[in-house]
Amino acid sequence: MSEQALTPWTVLRDGSRLVWRFVKRHPAAFAIAVLGAAMFAGAIIGASLAVGWVTDEVIIPILDGGAEPDLLPLAAALIIGVSVFKAVGIVIRRTAAGWFRFATTRDVRNELLAQQLSLKMSWFNRQAIGDLLAVADSDVEQGTGVLSPMPYATGVSMLLVGTIVMITAIDPWLGLGAVVGLLIVIAIDVHGSWITYGMWEEVQKGRGRVSSVAHESFDGALTVKALGREPYVSDRFQEVSDTLRDRIIEVSSTWTNYQVVIRALPQALIIVMLVVGAARIDAGVLTPGDVVTVAYLLSLLSFPIQLIGYVLWDLAGSLAGWQRVQAVFDADEHTEFGARQAIRKRRAAPVVGSTVGFGYDSEPVLSGLDLDIRAGTTLAVVGPTGSGKSTLCLLLARLWDPDTGAVHLEGRDLRTFAASELSKEVSYVAQDAFLFDTTVRGNITLEGEFSDEEVATAVALAGAESFISDLPEGLDTELGERGTTLSGGQRQRLALARALVRKPRLMILDDATSAVDPSVEAEILRALKSAALPSTIVVVAYRPSSIRLADEVVYVDDKTILGHGTHSELLHSLPAYARLVQAYEDEARRLQQEAS
Amino acid sequence: MSTEYTTGSVIRRALRASPILGRGLRLTIVLAMVGQAITVVTPIVIQQVIDKEILGSDGIEMVGVLQKASIALFALVLGVVVGRVALLRLVRSSSSGLSDLRTKTFSHIMRQSVLHVQAERRGNLVSRVTSDITTLQEFMEWGGVGLIVGLSQVILAMGVMVFYEWRLALIAFVGVVLYLIMLRWFQRILASNYDEVRKEVGASLGVLSESISAIPVVRAYGTEAVTKARVAEALDRRFRIEYVTARFGNTLFSTAEIFAGVLTAVLIVAGVLIGINQGMTAGTLIAFLFLANLLIEPLQIVVETLEFAQSAASGLRRVMSVLDSEIEIEEPEDPRELRDGGLSVRFDGVRYAYPTGPDVLTDVSVDVAVGARVAVVGETGSGKTTFAKLLVRLLDPSEGSIFIGGVPAPRIRLAELRSRVAFVPQEGFLFDDTIANNVRYGRPEADDAEVWTAFHELGLGEWVEGLSDGLETRVGERGGSLSAGERQLVALVRAWIGSPDLLVLDEATSAVDPVLDVALRHAMDRLIEGRTSVTIAHRLSTAESADEVLVFDKGRLVQRGKHTDLLDQEGVYADLYADWATGTKSV
Repeated sequence: MSEQALTPWTVLRDGSRLVWRFVKRHPAAFAIAVLGAAMFAGAIIGASLAVGWVTDEVIIPILDGGAEPDLLPLAAALIIGVSVFKAVGIVIRRTAAGWFRFATTRDVRNELLAQQLSLKMSWFNRQAIGDLLAVADSDVEQGTGVLSPMPYATGVSMLLVGTIVMITAIDPWLGLGAVVGLLIVIAIDVHGSWITYGMWEEVQKGRGRVSSVAHESFDGALTVKALGREPYVSDRFQEVSDTLRDRIIEVSSTWTNYQVVIRALPQALIIVMLVVGAARIDAGVLTPGDVVTVAYLLSLLSFPIQLIGYVLWDLAGSLAGWQRVQAVFDADEHTEFGARQAIRKRRAAPVVGSTVGFGYDSEPVLSGLDLDIRAGTTLAVVGPTGSGKSTLCLLLARLWDPDTGAVHLEGRDLRTFAASELSKEVSYVAQDAFLFDTTVRGNITLEGEFSDEEVATAVALAGAESFISDLPEGLDTELGERGTTLSGGQRQRLALARALVRKPRLMILDDATSAVDPSVEAEILRALKSAALPSTIVVVAYRPSSIRLADEVVYVDDKTILGHGTHSELLHSLPAYARLVQAYEDEARRLQQEAS
Repeated sequence: MSTEYTTGSVIRRALRASPILGRGLRLTIVLAMVGQAITVVTPIVIQQVIDKEILGSDGIEMVGVLQKASIALFALVLGVVVGRVALLRLVRSSSSGLSDLRTKTFSHIMRQSVLHVQAERRGNLVSRVTSDITTLQEFMEWGGVGLIVGLSQVILAMGVMVFYEWRLALIAFVGVVLYLIMLRWFQRILASNYDEVRKEVGASLGVLSESISAIPVVRAYGTEAVTKARVAEALDRRFRIEYVTARFGNTLFSTAEIFAGVLTAVLIVAGVLIGINQGMTAGTLIAFLFLANLLIEPLQIVVETLEFAQSAASGLRRVMSVLDSEIEIEEPEDPRELRDGGLSVRFDGVRYAYPTGPDVLTDVSVDVAVGARVAVVGETGSGKTTFAKLLVRLLDPSEGSIFIGGVPAPRIRLAELRSRVAFVPQEGFLFDDTIANNVRYGRPEADDAEVWTAFHELGLGEWVEGLSDGLETRVGERGGSLSAGERQLVALVRAWIGSPDLLVLDEATSAVDPVLDVALRHAMDRLIEGRTSVTIAHRLSTAESADEVLVFDKGRLVQRGKHTDLLDQEGVYADLYADWATGTKSV
């Protein structure tokens, strides 16, 4: 939307498209709301007719003509009746409009999540989480904001057309005057919303920025405080907050200028029409009664016209908010899935990676990597810091796709699996364990069908038995948001149990026990070893104890695999490997020598 | 928490917190009322033109018509100008005031330990400075303007009504008061419904944001369907309560129309009856009906903005309850300077417990001499990290006292403490910026050469040179384009560049490869001469070379001494070390 030259018409056009897109989904709700608005608009005209009738037939005859007050109860009933009709119209319109908007935001949010889930991790990694959350929250809210007044505006437009028809019927020239006058008002409205549209975009961006900085600062609070940088991040926050403030002031001030003009113009129009009307009466074309009626009808319009202004202003704001939502919907880096179903057998699967290459933002991390893991092997991935071990794991679990080459699981290219199928055969456990705001059990099963026995076995294997039984309600303890009541090591063990309970054919552990005490880790690995899991296991590890438990080791450096063999083979054949795994031993020896 | 505040007190509290909000508000209100009063001239002149000229008995005098029209137009323009000034003032003061309030709330949150103690609340805290403030902003701009203009209209209309016919004015007044009482009653009924709505809104956003944050896990475990269902359910619950509440509210508030109808009918009946007996003219009664409309209109605006007001008030309450929450780590009132050079540490009978939990540390007393290299070891949950956080005053002890360089920790100015004492936590958090700028968080005035030096001193020069843009490499959101170990390297350099006199490392190199880990420690040992270091490590190689080892177990300091001495004793350390030695044996 933003690439094109922006004109008032593109705002109107894009705006109507946006509204139409929503109306198409819930046409009934919108229609009912418009019906309510039409009742409301009718009631406004009805009220003016009723007050006119009461004035002419009741008040003036009684007070000025001395007539009997027989009609008085009828007059009261008429006025109240019209107001009840109007109230019913309001309830219908507002309720249907509310339903329309609430249902739309609900649908949009559901679709937004579905879209994000279908996009590649490479897309996800480029986004700021705070920004994505702001899109799902405030941008959706802003983007659908125009829907609330929309039915009202539609009803009001009917009122507008009706009034113009009535005025034209009285006098074509006055009708023409009314049309021209109203068009001027609407043109100014449109111009105002066009001018403010760009400013609105800036406001929404500013909001996103405030949200991002707040997220980042709160997430990194420990670091910020440890470094005593609270004043700095506060200044940074103040900067983005002030920018947002200035943008809000800019857009609101501009709009205020339009608003006051728009409010005054209908009144000015009435004055002009009175002058013209007076001249027409003078010329003998119109009767005084005609002019009074026209003036009265126009005065009825002054509020609805303002309302159109509000709607256009909402439209500009909605378009700006929606643009950020649309950007997420427009992302087309979808993960491509095949049609292949997972094989449900419980047997370890072999994994082959051939000429795998991968880079983040053109910076190559792995290239021309070949890897062959026999079924049932436990493979340790070893390499210096930043050598691409984690990237390799992500490729094996197909959280990312290789730029070149392919990864096959038991002869099947990972990319040929249907959505959600690969994970039935492959489990991946990352270093930082993400826990959901649910029970311990829920975090392990992720709502999959697992018996208590299966869960218990997985928990025991993951070395999580004792701390879970210490929790107030064991497996059914609620963990709270992000499971922060647990220590890092405990969280990792839960994440491990989550993978184990699935009895995956390939299990990938990316430094998944880094926060677990060495003795506990050794226990876990021993248990895994002796459990004869139906799994091929790939484990990123530094500790020789973990490495020694592996059947084979690959040494990753220089963007590829430099050695593949058993631990002792690599110790002899690869000096860099030996240096890495023996670093602590060497250090201990050196210190001993120094001491003696 | 939010019920402690009444609406009035929360507004007063907000004005105290951010005086800009209320600055010049009185003049703004006066201007708005004046602007409104001037615009009333226009309908009066229009009335005059109709009554005297168009309907007048002596025919139309075009000159008179033009004269009156000019007066009306002039009044219109004048009203617009004054009204515009008032609105602009309101926009400025509310935007500035709210931005100020937002910044203050942010700073207040940043100073609370809740951020690192109860990380789960972070998400909620973000909405204190985003959506809650936005709600207030919207209310100030729409509701605020409407209320001020409406208020002035009510006062004007009442004044003119009394002037025309006091008895009818009394009827109208009583009617309005009765209706306001009814509104208040409605509002109270609705308030509880709105609470429900807010709860579901919060819950649905919670589930939605959790699901978005968890996308990698969802992908890895193929739980897309379950996740979508969970979110859909939460959103649906929210939708239902929003709809039901809105329907209920609409029904209650549509009574504004019926009230208007009934009031008009009563005025007509009463007016006619008074008129018959007292000779009131039809013109007066008709004029009165129009005035009644002027009175009712703002009430309808009030009704329309009531919903806004509700959510604004509860947003304000939430913001205020954050601003009123206690800051645990206070600046000293009577600060003492630290001496230059290395810093000693003393813990004296320190106990620590989280507000609702059991003791995490019990009765810890320890002395660390200037220049000592201390290793802290123990199993997970033994209290090591709490010990470190107390040491750098990210927490204050529940009991006992801590001295840094001989000065009680609470009496050291925080800025001084932070510049002399560096703490590197395990997470290696990086900001979405370049490597150099991340390092500069440790010392903002450091130039590129100094940043380079810091990397080289620690033997990391080669690593930086290997990055695509060297120091200018961007690290991505939360440092996401670096590996966990690399993030720790940057975090270490960031602490290092401040040349701290006391360096506290909490598993700061846990994800770094062993060769680099050992090399880093050698580099630091060489350079840290004369300064004190406290290192918490799983990797007991740190303990082997330390001057002293502190061994924690279940919240207590159970052993201390040199590695070789501790090895000879039976106890926690010997067990830990045995595990470690088996773990690191390569054959």
